[in-house]
Amino acid sequence: MACVVACQDENDLYGDGQSFIHVTRLEKGNHPSASLAFISLACLHCGDAPCLMVCPTGAIYKRDKNGIVDVHQDLCVGCHSCALACPFGAPRYLEDGKMSKCHFCVARLERGLEPACVRVCPTRAMGFGTMDSLSRQKVEKASTFILEPLMKIAGP
Amino acid sequence: MSASNLLVIGNGGAAIHAVQAARTAGHSGPIHMVSDTPGRAFNPMLSPYYLAGKIHFDDCFPFGEGFYKGYDITCHFGSPVEVLNPNNREVVLSGGKKLLYDKCLVATGARPIFPSASGLRSSRHAFTLRTAEETILLHEAMTKAKSALILGASLVGVKLAEILDQRGVKVTLVDIADQILPHAAHPDCAALLQNHLTQKGVEIHLGWTLEWVEEHEQEAYFHFQGGETLKADLCLVCIGVRPNLDFLNGSDVEVDQGILVDHRMCTSLEGLYAAGDVSQGRNLLSGKKEIIGLWGNACYQGRTAGLNMAGQRTTYPGAIPDHISTFFGLAFVHLGNPNHRGNDVTILSNHDLSQGPYRLMVFDRGILVGSNLINGFENAGSLKKAMIRKLNWSEHFGSLKNLPSDQDIERFLADIPF
Repeated sequence: MACVVACQDENDLYGDGQSFIHVTRLEKGNHPSASLAFISLACLHCGDAPCLMVCPTGAIYKRDKNGIVDVHQDLCVGCHSCALACPFGAPRYLEDGKMSKCHFCVARLERGLEPACVRVCPTRAMGFGTMDSLSRQKVEKASTFILEPLMKIAGP
Repeated sequence: MSASNLLVIGNGGAAIHAVQAARTAGHSGPIHMVSDTPGRAFNPMLSPYYLAGKIHFDDCFPFGEGFYKGYDITCHFGSPVEVLNPNNREVVLSGGKKLLYDKCLVATGARPIFPSASGLRSSRHAFTLRTAEETILLHEAMTKAKSALILGASLVGVKLAEILDQRGVKVTLVDIADQILPHAAHPDCAALLQNHLTQKGVEIHLGWTLEWVEEHEQEAYFHFQGGETLKADLCLVCIGVRPNLDFLNGSDVEVDQGILVDHRMCTSLEGLYAAGDVSQGRNLLSGKKEIIGLWGNACYQGRTAGLNMAGQRTTYPGAIPDHISTFFGLAFVHLGNPNHRGNDVTILSNHDLSQGPYRLMVFDRGILVGSNLINGFENAGSLKKAMIRKLNWSEHFGSLKNLPSDQDIERFLADIPF
């Protein structure tokens, strides 16, 4: 849950324990084949974002440069339409009634830093980047996982 | 790229998204917009926020004045369409001006319905809320009102009840149905909300039908069937809306309640499209064509129409009815059809509003078909996804004897691939 806390810290969400990230604990199966998994979910910055389409004021917009879905707080009227539109439960409503959500730590990104949640993830389960670069990383990780033991046996 | 002549009748969410999509898709030919409104597009969804003093009147026009120039639109505003003649592909505007088109989108929206009670429509005390003009008139009338009668305990009616109550106006809410929010809430949920509203000082009368209005200078007397009479200096008519399609009289386009459209927003006639509250597209839940009058649905339909008119083949599967509204300190959600009936229907709910969020779920053979939430709407979007995808809940929760907990729902839905 380090990501949840890092998000609260980054966004000053310490008041009521809200975070832009929600972690779901998934338990499956029974002994001896039981498994446990965690899903860390925040705004997925959808390509064709439904929240943006239903927003009555145009408060929700997509940043041209990086595709981040962001909110103009001054335009939001707090109608909650985005809460129904988002299939991931990403929108949050803070004390002022306006919508707030994961903005991909855009201020950190612009300074060449990782998003707060990615920075603190102790197992490096979280990453960020374009779909292309993420799948490339995944491929590299998988190849190393398979090849490393073989190298140990076969030698360099 | 297509250079055909596009005509859009209307100037709301559907119309705006249609022309935006057509241009984005590369349509380089002329686009004409015709509307009875004087200018920039108004969003009726925002008028309650203006009436409540939360936003400025200018904020009710989300696309601004510059939109039309930016998208190179030829505007014919302030001139409603008198007749649409699909055979000649022409429209006649009031004043006699004719416009020809290759492809035409009807996105004329809807207007409030008046009950047939005699004297109501002509009453100086009766108001509706839909257009920018109606919003200004109501805003003016509200500032003087001391007592208000709201006809129709709809979502708009209840929201207006809150706004007037906050201004210190004595509010009476009347509906012909035997519950408030008859279209959006299950009777159990409606009873909880009614109780809450009553505690907040709103007088509610259900099962009352207005018969006639006795007009006076400062106020009016509203006489109901059965002899009841209410006095109010303001009457808000909030019983629903009907599509604006009078100009289609005499054309062969297939109309039920609204203009019937397919998944590309095509009507039954070649070159004629419809989108938004005037159209009747697919309800993903019932599988039938129904009017689903929602801002978001209108925008999606408009975009789909615009893309297809520009020569792309794009489809929009449809929508389900859903609403979220905050009033009197509560957040109320309606998904699908909470009043779904059938032989194999299971209705589960927790009953007490004082013990945290309320949730009611209606299942038909294990498939979620309707839901109401009061507060605790965090799962609402994913519940909607489950509903649209017709997930079978009984495969996961067994016989569905007890209401699944928030945590159980979260785990169930998190485990479904997107």
